[in-house]
Amino acid sequence: MIRLTDLHVTFNRGTAMETRALRGVTLNIKKGDFVSVIGGNGAGKSTVLNALCGDVFPERGTISIDDQDVTILPSWQRAPFVARVFQDPMAGTCANLTIEENMALAMKRGRKRTFKMALNKEHREKFRSQLSRLKLGLENRLHDPIGLLSGGQRQAVSLIMAVLEPMKIIALDEHTAALDPKTAAFILDLTREIVDENQLTALMVTHSMHQALELGNRTVMLDEGRVIFDVRDEERKGLTVPDLLDLFHKKSGVELDDDSMLLS
Amino acid sequence: MNLIQFMGALEIGFIYGLVAIAVLLSFRILDFPDLTVDGSLPLGAAVCAILIVSGVDPWMATGCAILAGMMAGFTTAWISVRWNILHLLASILTMTALYSINLRIMGRPNIALLGEKTIFTPLENLSSLENISYLRHYILPLATFVIAGFVLLLIYRFLSSEKGLAMRATGANSRMAKAQGIAVNRQILFGISLSNGLVALAGAIYAQYAGFADVTSGVGTIVVGLAAVIVGEAIFNPKVILMALIACILGSIFYHLAIAVALNVSFLGLQAQDLKLVTAVIVGLAMVTPKLRAKILDFKASRGQA
Repeated sequence: MIRLTDLHVTFNRGTAMETRALRGVTLNIKKGDFVSVIGGNGAGKSTVLNALCGDVFPERGTISIDDQDVTILPSWQRAPFVARVFQDPMAGTCANLTIEENMALAMKRGRKRTFKMALNKEHREKFRSQLSRLKLGLENRLHDPIGLLSGGQRQAVSLIMAVLEPMKIIALDEHTAALDPKTAAFILDLTREIVDENQLTALMVTHSMHQALELGNRTVMLDEGRVIFDVRDEERKGLTVPDLLDLFHKKSGVELDDDSMLLS
Repeated sequence: MNLIQFMGALEIGFIYGLVAIAVLLSFRILDFPDLTVDGSLPLGAAVCAILIVSGVDPWMATGCAILAGMMAGFTTAWISVRWNILHLLASILTMTALYSINLRIMGRPNIALLGEKTIFTPLENLSSLENISYLRHYILPLATFVIAGFVLLLIYRFLSSEKGLAMRATGANSRMAKAQGIAVNRQILFGISLSNGLVALAGAIYAQYAGFADVTSGVGTIVVGLAAVIVGEAIFNPKVILMALIACILGSIFYHLAIAVALNVSFLGLQAQDLKLVTAVIVGLAMVTPKLRAKILDFKASRGQA
């Protein structure tokens, strides 16, 4: 169980640029939940994810993972619990390291690193079999710098890297937003497969209502730093994008005019 | 250029190859431009020399020099990561402080090691045997080659380990490194210490090779190290880490040969005092070459299409 309790985050406190990104967000994520978080620009959805990952620290509220309080742990100390896929394909991998070196790094996420060789035959075998499921031919390119891969290929490898090690939750930060529609669909399918077969707990931030309903078993909508609705399982089944817009209108009292949310 | 000058360039090239590897670690791998090396090279020389003239075993003295260099590097990295000071400024602070510290360590601006027992003494004894005196020209380059090769393999082994990979990720993408649970600040502390330990080792070896330690010998070390790295990259265009390390050593040799040639070709009329100018020109050329090459390729490609 992951508990985000009454999170408050303010950026640029005390300046003219002061922004209250989160104003009391509470979210309890059960083991096996796949939560999609949706909201317009500035709603606070990325801030929730960054707070969970330890990139942003709340001035009020707590974060706990399986009853361990991690509120003040820096991101590198949360790595044993949280695996992460970034929005920017460049951010989740090291461009000038090879595919296998990137995977070797991820294989030790949050664990002690030793003076042992980072790569051996056994690792390469494992990486090859993991990569072959993508059917992108990457299993034959272990020695290529990962920077040579396209954005979609890098996101696919990032997903595989994320699940090399067990975790409490996988955090997906608009991980298809930088991709073309066809590639995005491929990455989305891969996400569903990987989350299902490993029975992961997941938090996916997205700007696409369609995507939010398509994946997972629970959808949370944020507006102005607050949770405005939270639907799951039975209640969520059969919901369509217009239903969501309707819900949003009812709860927040404003018409939604965010193009990025309406169009996708 | 005669044989002695050629061999001399090789010897210096191998010794400064260590500096080049150190600069590769800081500049390229950790993305931490570190000018401490201008102070840690004479620091290594100073510590080693004062210990040797006090009667300490030369290997022991060399080991102490490495430790001293690591402490200097640690200081720079600590100032930078703990107090969030720009790496260049932090390293300039340490470098400046080291000038005084080196004078304090030696007690005077230079120490002669002529006649003292150094790590090269057994080799000199060997080559002064009458029947193999010709070996003298080859034995020192060989010894420096062995040292550089040994260090190269050690660093390569380290960079291929889980810890070494963490260090490379730190410089390449610190955000990703953190997400993988790597304590990036510790990596910088350790990496910059290691880098300066290597530079101090080069200083200690150079002092024993040249027969003196001088407090001003560090001036421009960073440029010479960077020159070797950049020349190596321009010539070999390394893609993997082992090649990058080898390119450092070869770049260092190539650079020292180029200097020797430039100062020896009489029609250029260059003299010893022109050394730094020649250095700057060579580094400049090496930095421009890859861009020029790309431009020419672009030009050819555009013509090919037309």
